[in-house]
Amino acid sequence: MPLDTHALAERDVAQLLVEALHLEISPDEIDPTEKLFGDGLGLDSIDALEIALAISRTYGFELKSDDARNLEVFASLRSLTQHIATHRTK
Amino acid sequence: MFSAAAHRLAAELPDGAYVANLCQDRLNFSIAFAAAVLRGQISLMTSDRSPERLRLLAERFPGTYVLTDEAEPGNPLRQHVMRAAFDLTGVQSPNPIIPVDRLAAVVFTSGSTGEPVGHRKLWGALVERSRDAARRFRVGLARPTAIVGMVPPQHMYGFETTVLLPLHSNATVWCGTAFFPSDVEAALAAMAAPRVLVTTPLQIRAVLQAGVELPALHRVISATAPLFADMAAEAEQRWQTEVCEIFGATEVGSIASRRTIEGDLWTTYPRVRVRPGELDEEVVVTGPFATPFPISDRVDAPDSAHFRLLGRRTDLLKLGGRRASLAGLNRILAEIDGVVDGLFVPPADPDTTPTARMAAFVVAPDRTPDDILAALRTRIDPVFLPRRVVKVDRLPRNDVGKLPEQALAALRAQLDRA
Repeated sequence: MPLDTHALAERDVAQLLVEALHLEISPDEIDPTEKLFGDGLGLDSIDALEIALAISRTYGFELKSDDARNLEVFASLRSLTQHIATHRTK
Repeated sequence: MFSAAAHRLAAELPDGAYVANLCQDRLNFSIAFAAAVLRGQISLMTSDRSPERLRLLAERFPGTYVLTDEAEPGNPLRQHVMRAAFDLTGVQSPNPIIPVDRLAAVVFTSGSTGEPVGHRKLWGALVERSRDAARRFRVGLARPTAIVGMVPPQHMYGFETTVLLPLHSNATVWCGTAFFPSDVEAALAAMAAPRVLVTTPLQIRAVLQAGVELPALHRVISATAPLFADMAAEAEQRWQTEVCEIFGATEVGSIASRRTIEGDLWTTYPRVRVRPGELDEEVVVTGPFATPFPISDRVDAPDSAHFRLLGRRTDLLKLGGRRASLAGLNRILAEIDGVVDGLFVPPADPDTTPTARMAAFVVAPDRTPDDILAALRTRIDPVFLPRRVVKVDRLPRNDVGKLPEQALAALRAQLDRA
């Protein structure tokens, strides 16, 4: 159940990506619909682990491979934000 | 049942001397490998599944076809998609006798020119290592052991521990995905004890930091990058288990192991021996059915069955468990259209900073950094893609075209400042 705290903005999640992965761009430079993995932002599976950790710490839930694959959670910043918004516990 | 499935698939495979096994699912990969062995087809094991790599393989190994479990639209070669379920009624599945010198697989690494180098794996060597690992780690001997592997089956380490090992021992392998810490928790809980986790330092760190509760673990096996003793100690303490490491190289497979907290001395597998090589601090590894091979680290070997690692030889890079030659990467960069000169700068502390990445400097007046990145993306393993591509007017080479240490340091400083 999504919490009744401030609405989760794509920019918040972009910030998390930039910090967790030490990306050399600002959060605003991540296009919400651009691919995160492979082309687009160019992240890989090592980054996926770091992202899972950061999400666990910040939003209090664990990413699972089945979710990540089936729901195309990692397709874009937008889809990732929606997934977090649905599952966050903090 | 596994054997029956392999026999059934073997009967359906097209002709071809070589097969690129691109199956994504671990069970399918294993059945596909076994089927290829039954047909006498040589499996090409590549983690790079790009069209360019497949075309290159087909050039070098004529008649290569792709065997996969999910159709790949971009695949330029003949493709056979194995079906999800088999009708196994009436399938005869005798246990085959396979000669030890049969060439079963070719596994690839990047050479210094950037082109993949193939390493021949004879059936005898593969079986021998599996049995050695089973005995060394006490896996699948007297009692059935459950293995959860967090590493892909195409990579030599995953291939040995999660595909080959169960073929030659009483071990069962989890064939679901086990990548995120939560997956691992679920996978281990679904398997009966004794359980072994086959993983890497990066993933151990992730599981420790996630704080997930793991059930009783007989052993944790780690490989592909150095595991530091303090992290091993924490894992042993938190998970009440023994944490061991395998040392190996794609060229020779696994050759030695240690329990990390016991110190820096590695013990070779039985019948694997090390002897002095040509260079200082170099040893050559010899083993049954394998070609002698020099270890790429600097090594001190007090006797033929033990050694310590002293540090890496400078051209070889390892990131995320993958290897590349720095010279090879630089060659690829320089060959991109519009690149007049270029240089990859490796991260300063790859072993201590897990997410460390390469950077690159290019002299390329008419291309943008994004252009360069896009070109690199089709040519090199993604883990070596530079996080930044910095355009410069010229690289600070000296009279003989080399980049002196000071110049390299200045370039590094430029990255930190920007």
